[in-house]
Amino acid sequence: MSLPKTYSTPRLVSSLLNRICKDELLEEIEGDLFEHYQTLRSKNPKWKANIYYWFHAFHFLRPFALKRISQNSNFITMYRSHIKFAWRNVLKHKGSTGINVASLGVGIACFIFIFIYLKGELSYDKFHQDSDRIYRVAIDFVDGTGRRLPDATTPPALAPALKSEFPEVESSVRLYPSWGSKFLIGANEESKFYEERFLRTDSTFFDVFDFKVLYGQADGALDDPSQIVITKSMAQKYFGREDVIGESLTIYASENRVLNISAVLEDVPGNSHFKFDFLSRITSDNIDQNWGWFNYYTYMKLVAQADIQNMETRLQPFYESNLRPAEFYNIIYSQPITDIHLRSNLKWELEANGDINNIYIFAALGIFVLLISCLNYLNLTVAGSLRRFKEVGVRKVFGAHRQALVGQFIVETLLVTIIALVLGSLFSEFLFVNLSDILGKEVSLLQPENTIVFLIIAAMIIAIGLIAGLYPALHLSSFKAANAVKGIFKNSGKSVLGLRKVLLVVQFAISAFMIFGTIAVYQQLQHVKNKDKGFGPDQVLVIENAESVANQDVLKNELTKIPSVAQAGISNGIVGGLNWTTGIGYPDQFTMNYVVIDPDFVEAMDFELIAGRNFSKERPTDTEGLTMIINETAFTELGISLEDLEKEIPMARQNDSTTRNGKIIGVVKDFHFTDYKSSIKPFAFFYRQEPMDYLNVKISTENVSETLRAIEATWSEVSNGAPLEYFFLDQTFSDLYAQESRLSSILLYLTVLALFIAAIGMFSIANMTIKDKRKEIAIRKVLGGSVSGVSNQIIKKFIVLVLIANLIAGPIAYFIMQNWLDGFAYRTSLSVFLFVVAAGSTLLVAWVTVGAQSVRAAVSNPVKSLRAE
Amino acid sequence: MKGTQLGEFEELVLLIVGVLHPEAYGLNIREEIISQTKRKVAIGAVHSSLSRLQEKGFLKSELAEATHERGGRRKRLFNITATGKRALEKNHELRNGLFNQIPEIALKGLNFGGI
Repeated sequence: MSLPKTYSTPRLVSSLLNRICKDELLEEIEGDLFEHYQTLRSKNPKWKANIYYWFHAFHFLRPFALKRISQNSNFITMYRSHIKFAWRNVLKHKGSTGINVASLGVGIACFIFIFIYLKGELSYDKFHQDSDRIYRVAIDFVDGTGRRLPDATTPPALAPALKSEFPEVESSVRLYPSWGSKFLIGANEESKFYEERFLRTDSTFFDVFDFKVLYGQADGALDDPSQIVITKSMAQKYFGREDVIGESLTIYASENRVLNISAVLEDVPGNSHFKFDFLSRITSDNIDQNWGWFNYYTYMKLVAQADIQNMETRLQPFYESNLRPAEFYNIIYSQPITDIHLRSNLKWELEANGDINNIYIFAALGIFVLLISCLNYLNLTVAGSLRRFKEVGVRKVFGAHRQALVGQFIVETLLVTIIALVLGSLFSEFLFVNLSDILGKEVSLLQPENTIVFLIIAAMIIAIGLIAGLYPALHLSSFKAANAVKGIFKNSGKSVLGLRKVLLVVQFAISAFMIFGTIAVYQQLQHVKNKDKGFGPDQVLVIENAESVANQDVLKNELTKIPSVAQAGISNGIVGGLNWTTGIGYPDQFTMNYVVIDPDFVEAMDFELIAGRNFSKERPTDTEGLTMIINETAFTELGISLEDLEKEIPMARQNDSTTRNGKIIGVVKDFHFTDYKSSIKPFAFFYRQEPMDYLNVKISTENVSETLRAIEATWSEVSNGAPLEYFFLDQTFSDLYAQESRLSSILLYLTVLALFIAAIGMFSIANMTIKDKRKEIAIRKVLGGSVSGVSNQIIKKFIVLVLIANLIAGPIAYFIMQNWLDGFAYRTSLSVFLFVVAAGSTLLVAWVTVGAQSVRAAVSNPVKSLRAE
Repeated sequence: MKGTQLGEFEELVLLIVGVLHPEAYGLNIREEIISQTKRKVAIGAVHSSLSRLQEKGFLKSELAEATHERGGRRKRLFNITATGKRALEKNHELRNGLFNQIPEIALKGLNFGGI
């Protein structure tokens, strides 16, 4: 008779049970589990059955089933003794344990902080469910001279055409942001606010993107142009509650529009590359065939398993087939949505981007600081354990095996590292609370998504603890007990001393490197800050909603009557912020940035006319066509001479290949209007007599608050109830180097920290060295050595190490910072000064930490050191 | 005396051992508990309870023949001892006695589902 087939149980479980369960119970336990497993397997898939099996096996971890571990078990007794000795050692060397724990803890905290920060930066746009299939399509302009001008914006016709012509495209959507203008939105007369985060889009928005819907349905939320989707905090702001489906909001514009709220979303996550509070339909008509405007963002979601590489090759022909022959130069391409935040950085990004290079820098810094503190710990532990040679000898005499010795050391190092881990985690929580600005969100290690970070760091630290314990343990336990007891270890100690030196050199090399880098970044920041911007953005107040005043001339006149207001000029953009572009140049066209202004603007912003004249209100021709004031770069780019000013010259090509004439009336000195990574581009001013968004007011430096009050009073007289919204222009400029500012301050903190940890390390090592050499010092003194001679002898050794560290770090730092600076069109130069400071400060730290101790050792009475034997 | 009290779960296990007589062993006791009481219990919990009952002297056990479906391992079959029987009876009497002492008015006063 053949027996029915049985399923065999996971082997690991049996062996575990074998080990932990009482022998007399094992048979029935295993039997029951085996029998149960047969039932499970017949009803469930294997993996599920295995999980249940594990669950039940796990439930035998109960006192009744476990093998008795008696009080007299060798294992337990030994570990108790290890822990007791470890604790005694911790208490005996309070100082060095404190230093160990503190430096390791600080390193851990920094690493955790940087890790979480980077995790946030790298998580951008990954919250969309199919983020790997969502792409943005961008079109770079290519001008007549062949230069490529990266640009994120695309024509409105692109999205619908992509969907209809590419089978790979599952859905496509356009975004149309507010382009800097503000919308007056109200729920009723009482609650009206100006809003900027107003995004217009297509009904397919939720087919491509995933934002969490709290109330209402994502499907059909934007089917009708009369619908609007808002975020939770906007619902609170306007209605005081969250479930506001069916309520309506009014957009006050030339004609008021009433929109019905169709869905309420969770607030847009901080790691989305575009943020919004309001979402409604694009209302412009006849744009689906428009290939000429560049003011929409195009996104597409591909079908699963679509080949983006293949599609990419067909994009350019597809784009060109939709254009007239004259416009062939632009280049179309796609970018994964998850790359936009860190790797894109085109003109007109929806939000300032991060930079992948800074991510690398931060990652390197985090690793550096952790490395320094771990090396420090290793070094101190190894050095400290050498002094326990006799203890090891005695242990061996009493019959300790190598295993027991290793256990002893490891228990000790693990005790210290675990204390450091706990303190470091607590400290990182403290950092999260105090530096939440940098992270831009509330973070805690206790959040489930961050447990993994904690586990990684815990694993690393415990590994460090093991290494730190293992090395001295194996090393010390390898000697003969007799020698150990006698204290004969001079020969054997050599390799450890060598290691000690190497570790010190590495620590100081990293410190020197970081000092060098910090100063270089700081210098670059200062260079950029102090750079002549070519005009005067200081003390310029920009009123953002000037268009809400019907008669801007009256407003300007009234404002300039205030004594502390020097001048006020209107514009449709912000220098250093929002500007527009057009194609200019004949025969070769290039991209000209421009804003439209009035004549007072030039004076209000302190632009320096180096040739020609300003616009004039008396000359009506100044407001016509391509009459403009340009900057020097544009002047050179046009290839004209000063004689051409005020003359009609060919300026641009029309689509039908006729030329269009224009007139240059003035040239201003070059000025900065983008970040300092790119060089100054051509810029032009046009003059139109029409109301515009921005009023730029130059005020005097004295009594700013009083001036502001006067401006507000004037504003309220003419503004018809609209609130005054303004900012200072120099703020816009400091935003241009915000990234470098942040980098500079983080670098500074971390460098101080790294240097501090390295100094601690050197201090302790010097301390031990001097203790070991007490007799040598005493004998030298007895034989007539001077205090300075004896202490110099000790200091010299450490100074040499620091010099070596600098020799290693200097060239590497120089090379890397040179590379970093190459990313800037306007950059400072690296001078010898940097090397001097890096070397000087590390040497100073070494000198101070070692010097004081060695002098103290040298002046002490030699009898005290010698009488012990 | 400490150790001779019957816990709630222990009493349940003891009763089930009686119900399944003479074929009661770990796994089928668990299955019976699940099917009778709808309580989810791990095999380990049942074993733990059985071993405690045996220590207290309420159960005795012997090993049966090895069977194929248990991978050639023997079952431990459990039986209620005289002490076990007495403990069950004592519990039963105590409960009944107490229940009978509840005045009728108290039960009437209880609102069973809002009649």
